[in-house]
Amino acid sequence: MNTSRETIFKSIHDALSPIKERAARPSVPRGVADAKWLPDEADSIALFKKQATASGTLCFTDLESLAKWLESENTRLLYIPAEFKPLVEYFSSRTNVTTDYKRDLVDEIDVCITPAAAGIAESGTIVITDESTPDRLAALAPWYHIALLDRADIHRTIGDAIASMPEDPNIVWVTGPSKTADVEGILIQGVHGPGAQACLII
Amino acid sequence: MPEQKVDSYARRLDRPVQQAVHDNSAAGTEKRYGSLGKDFADADSLRRLAGAIRQHSIENLDIYLEQAEASLTRNGAHVHYAVTADDACRAVSDILKKAGAKKIVKSKSMISEEIYLNDHLATQGIESVETDLGEYIIQIDGDHPSHIVKPIIHKNRRDIARSFEREGLGDYNDDPQTITSRARSFMRGKYLGADAGITGANFVVADTGRLVLVTNEGNSRFCLAAPKIHIALVGIEKVIPSDSELTVLLNLLGRSATGQQLTVYTEFINGPARKDRPSGPEEMHVIFVDNQRSEILASNCREILRCIRCGACLNVCPIYRQASGHAYRSVYPGPIGAVLSPLLAGKNFKELADLPKASSLCGACNEVCPVDIPIPDLLLRLRNKAHEEHLPSPGTPPMAGFGILASSPSIWKIAMKTGGLSSLVPLEKLPLPYLSPWLKTRTLPGWRGGQFRSWMKSRNQK
Amino acid sequence: MIPTISKPNGRKIQLMATCLCDAFFDNVAKATVEVLEYAGCDVEFPENQTCCGQPAFNCGDWAASRQVMRHTAKVFQGDKPVIVPSGSCAAMLFHGAPLEFEKESDLGTINDLGARTWEIADYLVNGLGIQKWPGRFQARIAFHRACHTRGTPSGAAALQLLESIEGIEIIPFGEEEQCCGFGGTFSVSFPHVSSSMGCLKLEHITSVEPDFVVSGDMSCLMHLGGLAERGGKPLKTLHFVQILQAALQNHA
Repeated sequence: MNTSRETIFKSIHDALSPIKERAARPSVPRGVADAKWLPDEADSIALFKKQATASGTLCFTDLESLAKWLESENTRLLYIPAEFKPLVEYFSSRTNVTTDYKRDLVDEIDVCITPAAAGIAESGTIVITDESTPDRLAALAPWYHIALLDRADIHRTIGDAIASMPEDPNIVWVTGPSKTADVEGILIQGVHGPGAQACLII
Repeated sequence: MPEQKVDSYARRLDRPVQQAVHDNSAAGTEKRYGSLGKDFADADSLRRLAGAIRQHSIENLDIYLEQAEASLTRNGAHVHYAVTADDACRAVSDILKKAGAKKIVKSKSMISEEIYLNDHLATQGIESVETDLGEYIIQIDGDHPSHIVKPIIHKNRRDIARSFEREGLGDYNDDPQTITSRARSFMRGKYLGADAGITGANFVVADTGRLVLVTNEGNSRFCLAAPKIHIALVGIEKVIPSDSELTVLLNLLGRSATGQQLTVYTEFINGPARKDRPSGPEEMHVIFVDNQRSEILASNCREILRCIRCGACLNVCPIYRQASGHAYRSVYPGPIGAVLSPLLAGKNFKELADLPKASSLCGACNEVCPVDIPIPDLLLRLRNKAHEEHLPSPGTPPMAGFGILASSPSIWKIAMKTGGLSSLVPLEKLPLPYLSPWLKTRTLPGWRGGQFRSWMKSRNQK
Repeated sequence: MIPTISKPNGRKIQLMATCLCDAFFDNVAKATVEVLEYAGCDVEFPENQTCCGQPAFNCGDWAASRQVMRHTAKVFQGDKPVIVPSGSCAAMLFHGAPLEFEKESDLGTINDLGARTWEIADYLVNGLGIQKWPGRFQARIAFHRACHTRGTPSGAAALQLLESIEGIEIIPFGEEEQCCGFGGTFSVSFPHVSSSMGCLKLEHITSVEPDFVVSGDMSCLMHLGGLAERGGKPLKTLHFVQILQAALQNHA
């Protein structure tokens, strides 16, 4: 008796064998799907900020503004990974900080700062990996998520980002806050993921 | 005269629902057009490239599927195969039972709808909660999605508020913001209490073994963060060769579906999470499902397997806009459904053989398809198939007589001349069953058969 | 009388009048002949022509459709261009027929016929190189580009000619690219959807108050015109070759 695998591969083989000449693999020129308005090699950081902002991500370039914004939002408990000592110190004087992300505090911790692995200028996307994130939930569950993005890690295009994807079990491209338009086509921000997505570019 | 089912459904559809479906679809078409026009100098050549990529992928499915399996296994995932819908359901419940999993959370997966997974899991005593907002509402209503990307395009906020109240999510409140935040809090409990997360996959990249998932809500991220087991259900046709092809397809998918350059979350899953991690599945399973796909691959409609499930064809289809998704009586509505659903029905083709006829063959679907599927040609092939299988077709005039008439010029010319007799008898009185549907809403021009021919003849004689 | 600007230039063509014009729209077929002659063509009308076979093809009865196509291929044999005042019939010849003949031994003959078949606007502009049309015709026109001309040069060609005529104003209207709802036998097997589609298009068209609704396909105009008339608000419809003919009459 054939296994499911054997049955399927045989069916596929039988389906394809009458094809005299299989469709050739088309050549995909590098950059063929790049947006036409991309400036040549220019300022990726400026483009990133523009695109990220357009998609709903708040971009900060200094701690002071970030802190002011969080203050204005009356956040309750901020998680920062312990290894970011200067950040922990800076925020501890201003608000409640924890360096321990615990699953049962998922609803208490309403703000998280976690590192981004990279950025994509063409789409204003923040790239998060398992390697760069202590806990997947820390980048996903809080209402406010702030990604720490090193400006040197910003790729110019979506194609570039795909070409340099690391070996990581879980790479997530984040382009703005979570949203849905399921109810009458009306756009609502903040469904299961963060309702407010921000980025601190360092 | 018996009605075609899709026409009858459209006729009986509530006007407000039809209007909502029309407006929402038209908006989707506008957004797609705007985004492609803004971003690409020649979106059509990109679509044709993507079409060639997908055609190559499916015509070399034996190679790429095997390669995907090897890559996934290397990455630490368990690969399973399921021939039929039942096999797929059982493969899922076997994995869950082995792990003692009782509660699962699901992110949107069309193939899971095809196989009626939730119904099966219920019979196994396993709770399965849909986490995508639209799909959750469908689930609690015991309804079916009416669009592949926007499942509740046919519901309004009052419908949803009533359902939420009935489900115990709070008193009646039809504010979309409130509805959404209630879903958010409710679903958190489900994610965190779930033993397993089930997803689909938009693409499987053969050389790296990466699954690609494209969403906006964050529900699939949660399904892959909280529970310890991940099961991905993937149609065998989803494999693509490598990252360079992925780049083209990803750049077209969001724009075609919703006018977005990228959806909010694009996830690349390359295996289970590392052992020392607090979140992420320890165990990953990928179930490749056939469910008639290899039959379709063997047929003369194999191009339909290129489909990347964007929904652009639904949005632009004038018949879909008039009839709405449920008129298609199957998981996939609209132009994609009119081809795919009768084919997925396999031996039950005749149950859905009317769907390919529910089209004016306008070709708008092919024009918007990111992988350039020649849908009208496939609809015509399926009409031919239905004819050869002698399947009845209400309202369709038999053509054997026409074949004789139009290949016999002398009879034709006589018919042209004598057709004028119809001006002596009111058309409605003539026993022409196929004429009365026309005459109910339209007049016919006067008969002029033979006039041009005699004009041409007398001209040539001069 | 239409003046001929140039003597027949050796451009011998065969005219496929279409079964619809044969039965209902002799004026359109006549206008087609006069326009082609003005453009310097020698127009042959093979009298044994009947139909392109599309009705049977669309119904799935490909055997009946092939029977008709084989007759048509015989009638139009030779190597002259075959000119058709209909995007849908032209598309049947160069796209539909090859599809239904793909497993047949005479596919070659069908391909040859398709390769020399032109929809008339495409032929005038891209075949004969006519970029502008003389004469005048004072009218606000809503132009409906028939669906079978999607992906072909025909729609743009017809518009180019119309826009070049003095006095013509092409008025855009909502959802122009959406199908009118005719679809051949679709119009009688799905009467509700077909009529609803047509009425929706009529709403868009009538809101811009055109003098004429113009198309390159009489099937669409028969459907829209028939709906408008039954609805009590008749529309004036014209095939664009009738406008080309009228412009020439005003030019003389």
